[in-house]
Amino acid sequence: MLETFRLAWKVVEHHWMVYRKNLFSNSSITISDPIFFTLAFGFGLGAYVQDIDGRSYLIFMAPGLAAGAALLTSFFECSYGTYFRLNFDGTFKAMLTSPVGVSEIIFGELLWVAIKGAFMTFVISFVLGVFGLIQWPFIWLVPIAGALVGVACGSIGLLATTLVKNIDQFQVVYSFLIAPIYFLSGMFFPIHPDQGWIYWLVQISPLYHGTRLVQSFLWQDGIAENSLIHFPALILLTGILGVFAYRRFKRKLQLI
Amino acid sequence: MPKLLPPLIGESLRRSQGLEIASNLLPIRSGFGFDHRVMEQVVLAEALSLRYGTYTAVNKVTLAISRGDCFGLLGPNGAGKSTFIRLLYGARLRDEGELLVLGMDPQISPRQLKKRIGVVPQENCLDDHLSVEENLRIFGAYHGLYGTAFRIRVEELLKFMSLDAKRDAGVKQLSGGMQRRLAFVRALLHRLDFLILDEPTTGLDPAVRQLLWEKVHELNREGVTILLTTHYMEEAQKLCRNVAIMNEGSLATEGRPGDLIQKHVPGFVAIFDRKSLEARVSEAALKTRFDISFSLEPIQILIRAPNLETLLNLAKEWQTEPLMIRPSNLEDVFLKISGKDLDRYA
Repeated sequence: MLETFRLAWKVVEHHWMVYRKNLFSNSSITISDPIFFTLAFGFGLGAYVQDIDGRSYLIFMAPGLAAGAALLTSFFECSYGTYFRLNFDGTFKAMLTSPVGVSEIIFGELLWVAIKGAFMTFVISFVLGVFGLIQWPFIWLVPIAGALVGVACGSIGLLATTLVKNIDQFQVVYSFLIAPIYFLSGMFFPIHPDQGWIYWLVQISPLYHGTRLVQSFLWQDGIAENSLIHFPALILLTGILGVFAYRRFKRKLQLI
Repeated sequence: MPKLLPPLIGESLRRSQGLEIASNLLPIRSGFGFDHRVMEQVVLAEALSLRYGTYTAVNKVTLAISRGDCFGLLGPNGAGKSTFIRLLYGARLRDEGELLVLGMDPQISPRQLKKRIGVVPQENCLDDHLSVEENLRIFGAYHGLYGTAFRIRVEELLKFMSLDAKRDAGVKQLSGGMQRRLAFVRALLHRLDFLILDEPTTGLDPAVRQLLWEKVHELNREGVTILLTTHYMEEAQKLCRNVAIMNEGSLATEGRPGDLIQKHVPGFVAIFDRKSLEARVSEAALKTRFDISFSLEPIQILIRAPNLETLLNLAKEWQTEPLMIRPSNLEDVFLKISGKDLDRYA
């Protein structure tokens, strides 16, 4: 088990070595999106929107942007990134000639997106904090939610990688799965039971639970009760998606 | 040229590690069907099969590769060579049969096994984003290799493969031959007993090919058992003590190159210009000759006969000078086994 973790960590080290070569371009989309969402929706649209639960629209939206960054970074990493490593770069083929096995590759992929999810969520929260849009005391809890959202949405990326016939089909997954998850996660408007099917649908969205957690940490509001509801839900969804992705991606790796 | 460090490769290091030797001496578990001791055989495959749906990629292959051997696995494209190789290091899971590599079942102990084998895959699978040194550093990390000893090892191997001047170059800056040599270095970073080379010199120029043959030969002399797949019969004949020919997933024949030539294609081959020969003798007429076999190639016709005299008499009879007469070789065996030779007398 220790050796499996050591090798999974080496897979993470590999991804970091490659990622840091183009650090700016690799991280630009994850960082620029929240900035422009803040400008367009927060400062722009927000001026025309009334306060939500006593918060300005900008402050309402800010924590969700941080959580949403974990979704985007992990999905793109485990879809396009993994697809390239699987089919074009020969990364996994090479790894499999070393003591690294299929399990270590999958754990490494998920560990990598957990770290990226945690880091991105934290960095964006920090930047929003600099602009006075969050409460600081519980920012240290944010990476935990970011990591879980990262693993859950990275698992969706891995599942997509096992299903697509070519790289262009990821666009379909993005348009009809990832974008709806992103926009219906409680980031842009609050989710209430009286919204009917939307309310029930978002319960199976890992980002919804992640957003609710990050909101409670960064608004410093209802941390205990939200953690009791949304941490177990997020852990359960992450576990289910993780196991499903592990099984399917393992079969895929055994055929390269 | 520095001598490749024996302490890191092959027997000598393992001799200093009594446990490994002791485990190698253990007989294969009962019920396997082999009498050999693992110590003597690096690969033991019995009725090994792998299917993709209804397509059988590897079909009941039984094969043994002895310690210290340089074994060539030959066969046309799609014969199942690469799939067989992947079975050996656990990258594919067999459907049927038994397999032991260095005394271990690749499906049960892939990690332990891969610590003792090196693989140069058909595509180099180098990381284009990283430099030569970074490619080796991360691969060394997979093997748990760090520190000064590892850095010295990398330097030696880069020198061994004449890549030391390219240590900091990006992979994309390397020529095809250099990339192949780097893939070799990557496979040799750890101490290994068994080196698997999947078409090691395909697409390389003759000079690089010669260099790699030399290195393979040197490694084999150091005690590393080698399995290589190749399309180049010259490569197999030069390097391999034993060869096997695969066709459509099955093992068609195996043995020493010389023995296979004697068994399947004894004698000599005359190569004629196709146009010139067809002007003098028809294919139908060739088919009536039971003392020869022939193979039609786009611009040549190969005529094989058990002795030189027959070929010389034919050339006289057809009043056509052959382009060349040579002893039959492994290529003729390959053509015959893969069904591309229209054999008449065998």
